[in-house]
Formats: sequence, structure tokens, C-alpha cells
Amino acid sequence: MNPKTKIILTVLLGLAWAGVAVVGGHALLSYENAPGEVGKVPSAWPVNSSIRLATDRPTLVVFAHPQCPCTRASISELASIVAHTQSKARVLVLFYTPRDTGDDWRNTDNCRTAAQIPGVSVLADVDGEEAERFGAETSGHAFLFEPNGRLLFNGGITASRGHAGGNAGESAIVSLIDNQSAGSAQAFVFGCSFKTQREGDRKCLK
Amino acid sequence: MFEIIRKGTQHESPAARADELFKQQQQEIYVKTDQLFAKLMACQWLACVVMAIVISPYTWSGQAKAIHAHVWAAIFLGGAISFFPIWLTRAWPGAVITRHVIAVAQMLMSALLISVTGGRIETHFHVFGSLVILSFYRDWRVLIPATIVVGLDHFLRGIYYPYSVYGVLAASPWRSIEHAVWVVFEDVFLVISCLRSIREMRSIANRTAALELSEQNFRQIFQEAPIGMAVVGLDEKFLQANAKLCQMVDYSEDELRTRTPLDITHKDDVDLSRRVATGMLDGLHSRIEKRYLRKDGNFVWAARTGCVIRDENGDPRHFLIMIEDISKRKRAEEAVRDSEERYRLLFETNPYPVWVYDPETLAFLAVNQAAIDRYGFSREEFLSMTIKDIRPAHDVATLLDDVSESSSETTRWRHRKKNGAEIDVEITARSISFNGRDARLVLVNDVTARLRSEKALEQARDEADRANKAKSEFLSRMSHELRTPLNAILGFGQLLERQNPTPTQRVRVKHVINAGRHLLGLINEVLDISRIEVGRMQLSLEAVCVAEAIEETLDLMRPLAHERRIKLVADVDLDATVHVMADRQRFKQVLLNLLTNAVKYTPVGGSVTVSYHQNGDDKLRIRVADTGPGIAKEKVARLFTPFDRLGAEMSGVEGTGLGLALSQRLMQAMQGAIGVEDTANNGSTFWVELPRATSPLEQTRSRKRKTPTRQPRAEGHKRTVLYIEDNLSNLTLIEQLLEERPEIELLTAMQGRVGLDLARQHAPDLILLDLHLPDVPGWDVLSELKADTNTSDIPVVVISADATSHQVKRLLKAGAVSYLTKPLDVPEFFRVLDGTTSANGNGQNDASRSRANLAEMESTS
Repeated sequence: MNPKTKIILTVLLGLAWAGVAVVGGHALLSYENAPGEVGKVPSAWPVNSSIRLATDRPTLVVFAHPQCPCTRASISELASIVAHTQSKARVLVLFYTPRDTGDDWRNTDNCRTAAQIPGVSVLADVDGEEAERFGAETSGHAFLFEPNGRLLFNGGITASRGHAGGNAGESAIVSLIDNQSAGSAQAFVFGCSFKTQREGDRKCLK
Repeated sequence: MFEIIRKGTQHESPAARADELFKQQQQEIYVKTDQLFAKLMACQWLACVVMAIVISPYTWSGQAKAIHAHVWAAIFLGGAISFFPIWLTRAWPGAVITRHVIAVAQMLMSALLISVTGGRIETHFHVFGSLVILSFYRDWRVLIPATIVVGLDHFLRGIYYPYSVYGVLAASPWRSIEHAVWVVFEDVFLVISCLRSIREMRSIANRTAALELSEQNFRQIFQEAPIGMAVVGLDEKFLQANAKLCQMVDYSEDELRTRTPLDITHKDDVDLSRRVATGMLDGLHSRIEKRYLRKDGNFVWAARTGCVIRDENGDPRHFLIMIEDISKRKRAEEAVRDSEERYRLLFETNPYPVWVYDPETLAFLAVNQAAIDRYGFSREEFLSMTIKDIRPAHDVATLLDDVSESSSETTRWRHRKKNGAEIDVEITARSISFNGRDARLVLVNDVTARLRSEKALEQARDEADRANKAKSEFLSRMSHELRTPLNAILGFGQLLERQNPTPTQRVRVKHVINAGRHLLGLINEVLDISRIEVGRMQLSLEAVCVAEAIEETLDLMRPLAHERRIKLVADVDLDATVHVMADRQRFKQVLLNLLTNAVKYTPVGGSVTVSYHQNGDDKLRIRVADTGPGIAKEKVARLFTPFDRLGAEMSGVEGTGLGLALSQRLMQAMQGAIGVEDTANNGSTFWVELPRATSPLEQTRSRKRKTPTRQPRAEGHKRTVLYIEDNLSNLTLIEQLLEERPEIELLTAMQGRVGLDLARQHAPDLILLDLHLPDVPGWDVLSELKADTNTSDIPVVVISADATSHQVKRLLKAGAVSYLTKPLDVPEFFRVLDGTTSANGNGQNDASRSRANLAEMESTS
């Protein structure tokens, strides 16, 4: 290859490479930072919920999809919250469990990790009925209720999709539990959807 | 040394070489790090894909699943990020753009990995790890784009996705700074590390350049050393050999590497070499002289020095040997040994006694066999003696004086042999250095026998001189005694011939004259041969005109030739400029001899031809050819033998047999030659050959002589001639001859004293003087006449039978105006008489001629 051609080829490849890096990076960031959908969130503990509200302390309910890789970060952040609050709140993790699935559905890292967190109760949310009652449509959506049933917090506990690390939701929950503050807070939820999407309507792939 | 360095290095300075080395190493690092990153990025990409598949293979929506976006991002975005820098490592290895693109790509890959792994904190170490790996380039500048990418990532995320970065919805610049500070924190140390590395690299390059230069110098010194140098391994094989050694043994360095020094060592020196090699291992440094075998089988002498090179622990690493070619020195030593041997042989076998002694103690230091044989002392005896011991006792006193004369001239001493006998010796001595001390070398020649011989020879020579003197005296006396009667015979014969005899008387007188002349010729020739043989023939070599000599001799021969009706021919244009170097009279005498022989032996009516021609550059050959019977070949060798007439004595032709013998001797005396061209039955041709000469004056002289001026005789003046002669017949002869000159009055005296008295009384016009007078020798008479003012002007003509040139010269010098030899040649007598008694004092003419003759004679003496 003669030097001139080589230089031209290098320049062209370089430009292409820079373009791909910029476009690809932007697409990835867009995907990772796109929050999931949120349903109609009640302001107090849903009365038709089959789950019992703790009366002596706040109750933290987290809805999760057992297969969602993005939820691994939420479980991790939940463990961090539990570690910080030291049983000051009752913590429940409800894994989305379709009715027609077997035990394998919930035999995942997410379920096992969540079950291993001390003080955390892992429950199956058959067909996502409870999630629907609480208005949770995206895996990783957490709700913190006062003993009196008032909603203190709802939202995600990760900074972006599947991204562990400090984030606003986690900080808010820890603060609410520790300080018993009367305020409320919310954050974006990043994770897989509980609803089976039709073709072309998959949030995870957005 | 500086020149060697300049010659050996290809760089202008060590700094330039260091810089080149530094850049080489830097480039090498760049390329290697490029290659490292090429591999790393490929691995990272694969790892990214694997991690994406493992960590987040699917994304879920209820019960539905799909391939997770991370998987696609890992595959395509990761591939795209990695491809370009990997391509650059191939297309532009070590280039600036390559490593800077790699730096950017590595940071992008970090971002991708962090994304794929769900933002694990561990994955963030990839950023710091990448920066560290980028520092492998030891180019701190590559950290700049990497850091910028990290900064931009946070900056852009903070702007566009602040929640993902800071967990809050609003960006905080302090968080960006905090994140950047950590990266910059690492960058600072990595930059320091890079700069240190660069300094170390430059330091290493400087050291390497210096080392290279040093090594180059040493290698050059090794290679260009004027002596052979080699490094030999402990396995005894050559490791390195310089050019001089290769040249000495005629092996290439590669050939030597397959050999050991012992392989090229002369077999007689192998043991010695082994011992020395062993000694070297024991720390001994030794120098030996040995022979190395050349490739062509010849050997070369060399001085070998060696040592062991040891490592830092003192263990031997290899041998260093230095080999100096000493063949020339060895040859010189051998030559010296040979020379010493030769001189020792010359000394020992010299037939003359030779010894060396100490000039201070006089003790013998060395003697040869001849000295031992000649003196009778054994060698041991000699070496315990001094030279005083071989000097006679009476001679020892002068010994020290003799010895102190250190001249190398030959001196004569007397020596004493062991048996007491004394011998005469000639000593030649010279100072020498003997075994580092001053000494005298003496060559002895025993001259005892020679001295005896010399003494005998001297006696014999004295006797011979006496005999020769007696012979000369005899010849002179014989000449005189024979000429005196001949004077009367020829004189009166000629007188009779001039007095109108009868035909019969004329014939008889002619016989008398001829016989007398024959006898006179014989006497003259015998005397001439005698003079030549004793070396007393005096010749006056001068440039002689050949034409004149030939004409004169032909004129002389014409009467005889006419008489025999023989034609005399000069078969050449007689050129007056042609001269030869000869004695005029003797040259003419030889020509006359040849012409006389030719005329005599040529039959009546024949011819004799004279010619000459140039022979070579500087010779002239004169030929005398006749039409006679010629000379038989077998007789030619005897032609020049005295008295051998080759049988002509039977022919009736008169001759003495001395003419040719005398002619040959005369020609030899004049550096000429004589010979004959044998033409048996066709006549004979004799030739003489003389060196050519150039004399323009000769021509003039010749012409003057050819036209002699005769002075007119004075008329009416009575003149007186005094003849002092003791022989009566001679007196009578002159009286009768003078009868033809009636104007002359003759006075005679038979004694010297009487003659002197008459001369004083009569003051004659001419005195004729004989030398052998009864009372006073003619010499004394002449002296007195010349001493007396009354008679000193009277011209004196000596008439003597003593024809020796010495006598003639002596008398002419004493004042005689002419010298006539007996027997008298009458015409010559009258010529002299007329010349000296002419009225106008022509005696002076004759006197002048006499002085000219005298000068001529003196020039020949």
C-alpha cells in the first residue's frame, strides 16, 4: 500500500471509528438511562393487598423480576439499604411469578441473593397481582410505607439500568427509615417490565 | 588513540549515538506496547462479549425475553472500538497516532465494560489499569487523550445523564472535579514514572553508547593490533583471532575457531605450550618462543604471551594470548650464529697463526690451531701465557712500545717458538671487542723463509744489475770497437767511389761498401734489440704524418727498387692530415724494413704497393704488399724470430734475419702491432698498425722539412777545421774527404791536449772531436773548449763510434752542435760540415738543430 493511500485509509477509518464510538456510546447511554414505566401508585397501603403492613416500623416493599439482569443491581442496593437500616423496617421482596411457571422461574441469582439478605422476606407475586395493586410495572420498583400505611417513597433504587452504586432512591429510603421523616420521595425505576410486551414494545430494548 | 576512535565510529559523537540508541529503544517500546495493546484490546473485546453474555444475556418483559442490549453493544460497539486501534498497530506501528488512538480506545472500552458489568466498582479499576498500561509507552502524552476521554465521559454524562453519574438530577461540578482528581492523581504519578523511565532510558542509552564506543575501541585495538591476538576458550578452542594472527598463520578467523592453539603448534613445541597453558591457569604469566604452523605447512616463529581472564568470582573465563612474529629476529639470530660459526671456522682453520690477547695484561685470550702448530705450545699453554712469553728475551724491552702502537699496520717482530727457535714474523693487529672486553686481534705471518728468499733475490738482482751493466758496457765497447774499423772501411769505400774509379773498381768498392753497411746494419739492429730487451729503448712518441713517412721511405727505397726494376706504388691518396702516434725514426725504420724486405724478395719486374686504411675507430693499418713468392703457412709463425730467415739464407738475398724481429719489438714498444696476411704464391702483405693521432702542427713541420734551405757556400774564404782524433785511418779518411773542399784547411791533433792548444791558437771554424783520446777524454776536451771564452763559440761536432743515445744526449747538452757516428755517412758528414762552416755563420743553424735534437731526446728520457 502506498503511503498516500495508507494515510487516506487511516483518516477515513479514524473518522468512521470516531463516529461509531460517539453514536454507539450515545445509544448505549440512552438505553441505560431510560427509566421504566410506573403504574398508578396509591398514596397509602393498598387495602386489597394480601401483604400485611407492619405496624411497628416502616415497611419496604420491592417488586422484582427474577430473570431480569438489571434487577441484580437493585437487589444489591437493597442489601445495602438493609445493612444501613439494621431491621428498622420490614423488608419484603416480591418476585414476579407467572402462575403457569414452575420453581425454576424463581430459582435465579436475584431470588437467591434477595433471600440471603438478613431480615428480608422473599415472596412470590403470582401473575404480578400485588405489583399491579401497588402500581409497580418495572422490576426494582420499591415502596416505603409508614406503619400507618402512608406511602413515604416509591421509585427505583439504582442510578440507571442495572447500574449498581450510590443513587438517589437508596439515599432517600435510608434517610426516611433512619429519620422517620414525614416527607415523601420518589425516583426513576430502571429494570425489566412485569408486563409481557407485544412485539416492538419491549422497554428493556428501548 | 583519538584517531582510532574517530576511524572506528560511524557517529559524530557519543551523544549522537546515545540519542540514536535512545530513539531506537523508545521506538522499540512503542512498537512492543502497540503490540501489547493490540492483543489486550482483542482480549478485552472478547471478555466484554463474554461478560455481557454471562451477566446480562437477556432482557425480560414479563415472561418474554430478548437478547440484552449489552450483548449487542459488546459485540458491535466493542468490536468497532477495538478494530481501528488494532489496525493501526499493524499499519502504523510505533506511530504517535497509534498510541493516542489506543489511549482513547482503551478508555472507551473501559466505559463499555463498566456499562456491561452493571457499573461494578471493580470494573472501574479498568480505567486506572488502562492508564497504567498506557504508561508502558513511557510517553506521558498518551495519558492526555485518555484522561480527556474520562473527563468528557463524566462531563457529558453529567450534562446529559446527571442521574446516572451523580445519582441526582442536577449535575454538581464538584463531583466531576472529584472524579477527575482521582484520574489526575494517578496521571501525576504515571507522568513522573514515565519521565523517570525516560531518564533511565536515556541514561542507559548513554551508557550503552559509551560501552559501544569502548567496545568498538577495544575491538579495533584487538583487530588492528600490530601483533597477533586471540581469545581462547577453556575448551582450548579459539574464540576470536585478530587479523594479524590470521595473517601470520594464514587461517581465516572461522577456520581458527574450529581449531585449538595446539593444532597449529609445531609438534616440537606442543609439550612446552601445554606446560605454559597449565601454568597460566595457576596464575603464571609466561612468555615463550614457539613455532606456529601455517596453513601451507611452513612455520613461523613467534613470541607468545598469555594470561587468564577471570570473572568477578575469580573463575577462569578464557585465555588471552598475544603472539608476536619474531621470524625476522630468529632468522637474524640464525644468521648471526651461522656467521659466528663461519668466523670461528675462519679463525680456527686459518692457515696463519691468529690469536686474541688482552692489551692490558697481554694474556692470550684465544689462539687458533695454526698458532698451536707453528709455535709448538698447546692451547692450554697459550691461554696461560702472555705475549711476552713468545718474544725473545732481548726483545721484551720493546714489547710494550710495540703493543702500545694500536695501529693496524703490519709490523715485523721476532717470535720465539716453544723449542727456542726464533722466527721473523709480520704482525697485523687491530683492536676488537672480544666477549665484551677490549682486545687485540693478531694475524701472524711467518716471513722467515720469505726474508731469506728476499735476501737471496736481492743478491741475485745485484748480480744481474752488474751483469747487465757489464753487458751494456760490452755492447757500447763492441759498438765502438766495431764501428771504428767500419768507419775506415765505409769511409774509404765511399771516398773511392767518389774518385771516379774504373767500372771494375767501382764494383769492388761497391762490394766493400755493401759488406760494411751490412755489418753496420747488423750491429745497429743487435744493439736495438738488446736495448729493447733490457727496456732501455727510448722512444719519442709523437703525432707522425703517415704520408710523409711513407714518401720518405719510398724515396729511400727508390734507388734499390729501380735497380731491381721493381715498381714502387703508393696505392692511396697520401693525406697529409693522417697521423699516427709513433716515434718518427723508429716508425720509418719499420716501414723501411718492410719495404726493403719486399723489394729484396720480389722478383725483378715485380711491384711493391704501400697503402693504408682506417682500422676501427682509433687505429691505422699500413700495408706493404709485394708480388713475391709469398710465405708458406708453416713458416709464418717463425717470421719474427731473430736470425731466422726462413731458408732465405740459401737464396742469395742478403739479410741479417733481425729486421722483422726488431720491427715487431719496435711496434710493440709503440703500442702498435705488426703482422702478415698470408698470401702464399700470391706475394706477401705485411702490415703495421698504430694508434691514430691528430696533430695539425705536424703538417706544417712536415712541409718545412721537405723544403730544406741550403745556404750558399761563401766563396773565397779560407776556413779552418780542427780534427782531434787518435786513430790514424780516421784522420786520413777525413783528410781525404776534405780534399773535396779545397777552401778548408784541416788541422789535426791525435791527443786532447794538443787539440786544445791548436783550438786556442787557431780558433778554427769547426772542431771535429773524437771521444776516445789517449790523454784526455773527449768529454773533458769539449768541456774545456766551452769553458774557455776563446773557444767557446767554436762549433764542435763529435764523431764517435759510441752511438748510445745517452752519450749523444750528454754531449749535445755539453755544447756539441752535432753528433756523427762512425762509420761516417759521408753525405751526412758533408752536410754537417757545410752547415757549420758556411761563411755567414751557418754553424748557428746546425747548433739550433742540435738543440732541437737535444730537446727531442730529453723529451724521450
